[in-house]
Parts: sequence; C-alpha cells; structure tokens
Amino acid sequence: MLPWLLIMPSLVLAFGVIGYPFYEIIRLSVSDVSRFGQLRGFVGFANFVTIATDPIFVAALVRTLVWTIAVVGGTILLSIPVALVLNQDFAGRGLARIIVMLPWSIALSMAAIVWMWAFNADYGMINATLRQWGIIGQSVQWLARPETAFPVEIGIGIVVSIPFTTTIVLGGLSSVPGEIYEAARIDGARPWQSFLHMTLPMLGPFLNIAIVLNVIHVFSSFPIIWVMTQGGPDNSTHILVTYLYELSFYLGRPGPAAAVSLVMLVIVFGATALYMRLRAKDGI
Amino acid sequence: MSMMWRLDMRRPSLRQWGVVACAALGLTLPMRAPAAQAETVRMTVSYYSAATGPYFEKMAKEFHAANPSIDIKIEVVNWPNLLQKLQTDISAGANADISIIGTRWLLDFVHDGIAEPLDGHMDAAFKDGFIGPFLKPGQIDGKTYGLPIAASARALYYNKAMLTKAGFPNGPDTWDDVVAAATKIKADGGNGFGLMAKGTEVDVYYYYALWSYGGEVLDSHNKAAFDSPAGIKALTLYKSMLDQGLTEPGPTNYTREDLQNQFKQGRLGMVITAPFLIGQIAKEAPTLEYGIVPVPKGTTRATYAVTDSVVMFKNSKVKPAAYKWLQFLFSKPARVEFNKNEGFLPTTKAAAADPLFTENKRLNIFVSLLPDARFAPTVTGWEDTAKAVTDALQSVYLGTATPEAALKTAAAKANQSLGK
Repeated sequence: MLPWLLIMPSLVLAFGVIGYPFYEIIRLSVSDVSRFGQLRGFVGFANFVTIATDPIFVAALVRTLVWTIAVVGGTILLSIPVALVLNQDFAGRGLARIIVMLPWSIALSMAAIVWMWAFNADYGMINATLRQWGIIGQSVQWLARPETAFPVEIGIGIVVSIPFTTTIVLGGLSSVPGEIYEAARIDGARPWQSFLHMTLPMLGPFLNIAIVLNVIHVFSSFPIIWVMTQGGPDNSTHILVTYLYELSFYLGRPGPAAAVSLVMLVIVFGATALYMRLRAKDGI
Repeated sequence: MSMMWRLDMRRPSLRQWGVVACAALGLTLPMRAPAAQAETVRMTVSYYSAATGPYFEKMAKEFHAANPSIDIKIEVVNWPNLLQKLQTDISAGANADISIIGTRWLLDFVHDGIAEPLDGHMDAAFKDGFIGPFLKPGQIDGKTYGLPIAASARALYYNKAMLTKAGFPNGPDTWDDVVAAATKIKADGGNGFGLMAKGTEVDVYYYYALWSYGGEVLDSHNKAAFDSPAGIKALTLYKSMLDQGLTEPGPTNYTREDLQNQFKQGRLGMVITAPFLIGQIAKEAPTLEYGIVPVPKGTTRATYAVTDSVVMFKNSKVKPAAYKWLQFLFSKPARVEFNKNEGFLPTTKAAAADPLFTENKRLNIFVSLLPDARFAPTVTGWEDTAKAVTDALQSVYLGTATPEAALKTAAAKANQSLGK
C-alpha cells in the first residue's frame, strides 16, 4: 500500500498531463467545433470521414511516411560513420565533436529560417556557390517546385537530426570494450568484418533507441516544412502535421484537425510498438 | 519574408507578483480610493512595421496621461500568427479586451458571439467620422462590430527606367501594355511583370486580372464564380506571361515581400501592391525612380481594397474604458500619425483632410481608385476559397493543370464551404 501511496502524486500528475489533453482531443474530434473552440454538437465520425475523403490528407499521409523513412534512414546511415570517426583518437577530436554537436543548440525553427535563406533562389549561398563552381548557369528555384523542394527539406531534416543521433551512437561506441577489437585483430578479422560482426550488433540497443526517438520526432516535425514551403506549392510538400496546422489555424476547423492528430497518434504508437516487438523477437 | 517567430510570453507584472506575495503572506494591498482605482485595457495589435509597437505604446502613454484611471496594455503579434493567437486566447478565455483583426475574419467572430456590437457605444458624430466604404465591411446585419483601423488599395508600381526604355514612360494602362512592356524588358535581360504565388494573397493577385476582365469571385448567391470565361482568360494571361518568360522564373517561390524587395532593388519592371511600398522605397531605396498607375485594364477598371478592423470582445470587463481608448485612437492626430508611420490610407474623414494625404500625389492615386475598389465579401468559407484558388493557381504555374480544369476544381472545392 505504501509504495502506491508514494507514487500516487506522480501518477495523478501523469494522468492529468497526458489524460486531459487526450480527452479534449477525442472530444473535439467527434464534435462540430467553431474556429474559436465552441462546441456546436456531436457529429460522430463525420470529421474522420471529412479528412479521409480529402485527397490532400491522403497525399500528406503517404508523404509523411516517405518523409519519416527518408529522414530517419538517412540520419542513421550518416550518423554511424560520423560517430565512428569521432570515436577515433585524433588531435582536435574535442573540437570536432563540438562542431558536430553545435547545430543541436539552435532551435529548429531558427535553423529552418537560415536554410530557407541559404536556398533562396536570388541571394542564397547554395546557388551562389554552385554558380561559382560553374555547376549551374542560372539560379535554381529550389523551393518553387515539389521535385526539388521536398528533397531539399528531407536533406535539411537529416542534417539537423545528425547531432542527436551521433550522440547516442557515440554513447554506444564508448560502451564497447576495446579489448575485443584487439582479440579480433589477432584472430585475423578485417576492420570491415569487426564493424559488421562486432560493432553493429553491440550498437543494436542504441540504434533502436535512436530510431524510435527519431521516428517520433521526425514524424511530427513541423518547423522545416512550414518555414520553407508551408506545405506548398499546391499542397505538394504537406506532411500530416503541417496539414493539421493549416486545417486548424488557417481554415479554422479544430474538429477535423483533432481527427488528424488522433490518426497521427495511432500511427506513431503503432509504429513504435511494432518496431519494439520486432526487435524483441530478434533478441536484441 | 517576415517569418519571425515571436513568443508572446505574458510575464506577470511586478504588481501582480506583489499581489501574489501579499496574498501568500495573508496580507492585503492597501486599498486606494475608488476614484483612483486603475482599470486595465488590454489590446492586441498586429505588427505592420517596426513602428507599430512604439506607436501604440506612445498613444497608450498619452492616453494614460489624460485618463490616469485607465492603463493600456499593448501586445504586438505578427500577422501570420495573429489569427492563431486569437483563436487559442479566445478558446482559453484569455483574450485581450480589444484587438486588431483582418476584417474578413469578422464573420466568424460574430457567429460565435465573441465580438461586441459597438452601436450602443458610438454616437452619430463618431460614426459619421469614418469614410463610408471603409466602415461597411465591419458591419454585419446592420450592426457595427469592427472599426477600420488600417485600409489599403492596390495599384501597379513600375520602374521608370525600365518602362521608359520599353516605350511606356508613363506606365502601362492595359494588360496588352503590360505584355508589350514586359516583352521588351525581357529582351534586355530583365524581369518584366512580378507574379506572386507563395504566401498570403496569392488569390488576390489573380483577382486583379479577373476583375479587370469583368469577372467576379463570387456570384450574387455567394457561390464561386471565378471559373467564368473572364476568370479563365485572366489565368491564361498570367500563365502565358510566365511561359514566355515575362515574369520572374518560379513564381511559386515568390511572396509579395519577395517581389517588393526585387522591385526596390530595381530588378523588376512592374508589380501590383499596396501603398505601404511607397514608404519602404523612401526609406530603403530612395534613389529608385518609379511611378504608380491603376491596376491594368482588361475590359474594365478594378482594384482591391482591404481593411483591418478593431473589435471589442464581448467578455471584456472594461468596455466603457476600452471604448474611450478607441475614441482616442480614432481622433485625428492619432490617426494621422498612424498613417504616416505605416503608409496606409486614411479611414476617417478628418484624417483624409490632412495635408499628409491631400499633398501626397502618390497616395492620392490610391485614393482615386477607391470608387472602383472591391472588398473581400463577408461570407463564411472565404479562407477556404482563398486556399482553393491559391492551390489552383500554383498547379497552373507548375504546369500540372490547365487554367480551366484547375479553376473548375477550385470552384467545386470552394462551394463545399461557401456560405456554410
């Protein structure tokens, strides 16, 4: 009884902090809600039908999956080599680590604004650099077309996710005892083999955490896309969270927006649970 | 682009902390005499320029000096975040007493019973002081809810050097002139006509041409009418200019601010925008030679006029004090100084009679266009219509849809929300 009493305050707090907004979202999602949050009546699943029949929602849903897989995948693929390099003993390692971690200290919306200017067609440093190197003759309108705008946004998503992921991987690497590499070398293992058969499996739990946390973050990451293209042109860069924002705050429809956020919650929850189960089966 | 995120953290004032501290100690603040009991009126204002905040602070100070029993608290919010802030504030019951809003949002406020009708507060003289057409958009079902605090109309700015070289020293008069001039400017390697297709008012930029060909955005039953032959003609005109390279490349990458910046730098021949660009050019590009002419004519003459309104919230507990502050804000000196700072058109007759306007030739062009001006209609679903039209325009500029197909789709989409 006493243990329950002792954790009661934090339990109540947790239920309050998580439970109340959850209750509100569910209530909004089944109601006809005015722009200013006044409930005009119960509508059942009408809000869910509204969004499910909106082609912009369906396209945004698919794009969100592409966005999440591309950004998380790219981040993991790039963070492992970066962490491996930073784990080596070399002169200036401390400085190199600081440089890799620095972008982390900038708020995402600020970073997105900086990148937006970097990709500006007329004054941006990307076009200026490419012109200087003679790679392009005319300015590229990076953000004007979906074919370039969305990949650019994915690239920025990867760049801003690297510091966090590298930190986790570095933590994992530092827990790998150095002796086993020595033993492997004596047994004739090549560096590539010891990476594949020793480093990678030992990093498993750390990569798991990195993937799950990144999926949760990236899936609902708002600033990059909103700052650079606001989901446009012609809705071609919307992901669910920017679509939700536009729905709620531009078009004034909190009801359907709440439905979108519930769908997002279910997806993130499902993806995380599935992934955890798969890894648990692997025994890692 | 003014996409700065301003966090409006409401810090408790020293006095509020004092109240908390005293309450915690079981003390009460010494009561002042009731006559000196200060009332606080909170006002949310939108950020028009760097001068907006200081202007309202200054007015608040002057007002407080004349009315020591009323304190005015100003919070400045950026346009792109204003509606979102009001929405969350109102949902939480934490809204200010009065606020500046886009007049086209007013209907939602009135529907939900959030805005206070001002007729009971206003006397005839105060109401008559406004310029009629600017007050009208703030009136719904015969009641006045919004007072016009900012007004603007649109006209075409042209770069004198570029247009003179292209054979139109006095600026273009018709869309044919625009095309002819832009063709010559293109031959010289410049960008002729600025076409915006990103950010707010993408739809309005298209309505200029739509109206000038005699088209309407909505019909008399408030249903979509922009997919008419006039609408298709207008969009085909823009698209053909884009295809011929007469505009800047990639309009879906350009907001109104981007085009204004290009114009200020002398890199753009023509752009349609609001009077506040005059002030920006005077400050940032004083050597630029430019002229202003009406929006080009197709078959008829038209422009767009827009107002921002001040509304009082129904849940305000200090309505008489708030109204007193409004009276002060709409007095002649306060209005003239506001317009001088921001470059908007006068909304009261007294301000319009000031030399600031009567002797400013460039601003006068905008004033002269007002008889032909269209306002955004007061109808639910206007934001959805704007969004549907914007999507349609972007798809046409990107080359994924024809003008006719895109506009028909947009009209069907808009009709789902219009008037509901």
